[in-house]
Amino acid sequence: MTRLLLLNFIRSKGVLWGLGLLFFTGLLGINTGKQFLNKYQENVTQTAYNQQESIKRNVKYHPKEIGLLLYYVKFGLVNEMPNLAALSIGQRDVNPSVQNVTIRFLEEQKYNTDLLNPLYSLLGNLDFSFVLIYFFPLIIIAFCYSLLSEEREGGTWSLVLSQSANPKKLLRIKILIRFSSILLVLLLLFLVAKFYLNIAFDVPFLAFMVVSILYLIFWFSLGWFVISFQQSSSQNAIVLLLAWVILTVISPAISTAFVNAKLPVSETFQTVLDSRDGYHKKWDLPKEVTVQKFFKHYPQFAKFKMPEGDFNWLWYYAMQQMGDDEASNASKQLQLKLRQRENLSSTLSMIFPSIHTALTMNDLAKTGLGNQLSFGEQLVKFHEQKRLYFYPKIFSEAPVLKENWNIFPLEYYQEKKAVNWLKLLLPLVILSSLCGFWGEIRLKRL
Amino acid sequence: MRYNYIKILSTQVWKDTFQNRSTIYLVAMMFGLLLFGIVSGVKSYLFQQETVKHYAHEVRERWENSPDKHPHRMAHYGYVAFRNKYPLSFFDFGMESFTGNAIFLEAHKQNTTNFSEASLSSSLLRFGEISVAMVLQLLLPLLLFFWGFGLVATGRENGTLKILLVQGVSWSEIIVGKAFGLFKLAILILAPTLLISLGILLFLDFETSKIDVFIRFLLIGLAYSIYFWIVSLIAVLVSATSTHPKTALTTLIGAWLIFTLVLPKMALVLGQYLYPAPTKIAFDMAIEAEILKQGDSHNPDDPHYKALKDSVLMAYKVDSVQKLPFNYGGFVMKEGERLSAETYDRHQADLMKIYEKQQNVVRYFGLFNPYLALKNISMALAGTDFATYSDFQHQAEKFRYALAQKMNELQIKFISNNVKNSADKNAILSNKYWKELPDFQYQFIGLLAVLVQEYTSIIALLLGILVISIFIKKYAHTFKVI
Repeated sequence: MTRLLLLNFIRSKGVLWGLGLLFFTGLLGINTGKQFLNKYQENVTQTAYNQQESIKRNVKYHPKEIGLLLYYVKFGLVNEMPNLAALSIGQRDVNPSVQNVTIRFLEEQKYNTDLLNPLYSLLGNLDFSFVLIYFFPLIIIAFCYSLLSEEREGGTWSLVLSQSANPKKLLRIKILIRFSSILLVLLLLFLVAKFYLNIAFDVPFLAFMVVSILYLIFWFSLGWFVISFQQSSSQNAIVLLLAWVILTVISPAISTAFVNAKLPVSETFQTVLDSRDGYHKKWDLPKEVTVQKFFKHYPQFAKFKMPEGDFNWLWYYAMQQMGDDEASNASKQLQLKLRQRENLSSTLSMIFPSIHTALTMNDLAKTGLGNQLSFGEQLVKFHEQKRLYFYPKIFSEAPVLKENWNIFPLEYYQEKKAVNWLKLLLPLVILSSLCGFWGEIRLKRL
Repeated sequence: MRYNYIKILSTQVWKDTFQNRSTIYLVAMMFGLLLFGIVSGVKSYLFQQETVKHYAHEVRERWENSPDKHPHRMAHYGYVAFRNKYPLSFFDFGMESFTGNAIFLEAHKQNTTNFSEASLSSSLLRFGEISVAMVLQLLLPLLLFFWGFGLVATGRENGTLKILLVQGVSWSEIIVGKAFGLFKLAILILAPTLLISLGILLFLDFETSKIDVFIRFLLIGLAYSIYFWIVSLIAVLVSATSTHPKTALTTLIGAWLIFTLVLPKMALVLGQYLYPAPTKIAFDMAIEAEILKQGDSHNPDDPHYKALKDSVLMAYKVDSVQKLPFNYGGFVMKEGERLSAETYDRHQADLMKIYEKQQNVVRYFGLFNPYLALKNISMALAGTDFATYSDFQHQAEKFRYALAQKMNELQIKFISNNVKNSADKNAILSNKYWKELPDFQYQFIGLLAVLVQEYTSIIALLLGILVISIFIKKYAHTFKVI
């Protein structure tokens, strides 16, 4: 019987079209990811080269004063992106993956954005995750909505009932055939992606595949659940489509509005003003005041004496330091608020499989807000480390040409985050089982 | 075409739709979403207005109350420009979540516009937001397709279509009549939404031209009406050309997906392929390389400015800059600012051209896709489009340049050539001069400029109606009756 059902399925109109469409758009999505990956790599290479050139050039132009030299020299930190990110670009197109900073105050530098065309950000990328989240469910709906009702409407159901002791088994085989066909397309796409994008076969990739498969299972369970009401084909189609619109369009948008309303970010402008005044106002104050504050922050530098004269670099960098110090409250609050936003989104996503899948994928691919925030924290550390390295050299007026300027290549940050399997699996497993079992119970009265 | 028949047919559509139990729930859901969109739109408009007002005031206060100092220090202290929302932005959020909100303006340096909502959000945002525009552009057509898929196909299946035609009603009358019925359903949802929005507009407090806002609002209403008329016609045409209602539904939903989800993203893929935009690093590198060649304007002995120095000394018939009747350092910086700003402007203009071409790809897609055409028009009229944003950046840069040059001029005029540096007592200028710099006030682009900008999309929408009308006139009588 299975063989016949399989034949019947393959020969039905539109099946190959549907699967072909999924495969084709999936390939398109993978290719979008490839372009994105290339652009990222090009950007990193260019920055690495540029940093070396720029250091060389600046050393040539400013060979006498190390304080002046470091006013100009930029150090880059890369937020390393796994190739898996190509499958789920997330927020990486909006947030910069490379940050170049001088040792001057960081607040003015760390929020700098990349160049982007906002219309294109609005339209969004056609990446693999988009295809998975939006298109796969639609084909699943198309394959499932008339699973039982088509037999009824075609008059074959009474035949099945009279000939088979277990008509439910027939339905199960039918849905399994459909599931297998779609799973096959998905696995094929992963295979292509694995080699075309050169994705490492590691835990995140595995988790990524698991979550994708679970997402498909969820939609099949939902289909099963809707079928169990034993309504007409058109009724089922409408209900499933409505579910699709609610899960992929309405609920995420309402969640966004909820997060924004619950946690409005008003700290951004305050950090700008605080850091700007923190630094610039110091020009109008006696030098000693600022330098004392600086020594209080860094007691280890108190041994340096401030040189005489109208201007000196110790004072200058002390002023710069104040830009960060005085904005640190507002800045911390901003970071906290963003963490809260990330957590609230993630909590909300537990009830909506579509959002959960998208956020989990971005998390695994290191393309979400969480990754961006960790990178921001790392950037602060990186910046601090550069400062601490150069401050004593500046204050002791170390000769520029005696320094080894070749030891500052582009640095890389790789977010270390273990996969939280429980959180990843639970929402999808629970919702799928719920739909599946409920449908099962309803179908008892077949 | 007889008006009487159209009236009867359209009333029938209305009655039939409301006989269905689900209709009332679906309409209620629509209104729920629209209300949600209005409330969150107005809230975010008010929040932004208030924040911007507060901080813009703060920036001005801090600027004016800065103590006496060397003007060049003031040029570095700089200004911060915040982006205002256009009053109609509550209706259509457009691309505002992806555009920056604050830009720090200082001498010699063009900073990026930072803190877009997207940079502060989780990737949840990328699913889209609920605004009135989103519900009307995306969800209402789906509902209209759902209401309209069987309008002709069902009649064909149960034979009532045949009777209708036998009674002397023409095919075009059937199509226009039924589409008009569908259109009335759309208006049932659109009209109250517009009325509530209008009410809100009357209460909102805004500084930009009131007439402009209301004309734009009127045009928004008009554009959406045209859009729904096109959508209604498409629904009925598909229904009339499909053999079964089921096929009609599948076709319509497929079309909806292609128009709203697939084609916009395809436009993006094509646009990026045809007109690749430079990365930030490449953009900055190109500018830096050019500016390095222009020399360092902070250094009066810079060889690049030697020619300038010689010619100035010659013109004033003196042998050293100290003897010049004006501050030479300020003079050189003024020249440096001019050169670097020119370079930046040129590169920025090139970049904008690339973005413009990328936008045009989307606009051309709009010629075959009423959804995209309307989206562009709606954003432009609501002041949440790219033109408005880049105009903001342009005005901010103009202000930055004016600020830097104003400070340079103060230096040229009032600071002696004999001061050692900016900390010198003689180099300090009274803070009464700071007030001379006008406040940054963003002026929204005028209505005419908006319309010119979006002419492709406007033509696209009108062309849509024309093409469909011609199609009905030419082919409707050939549709199958059974």
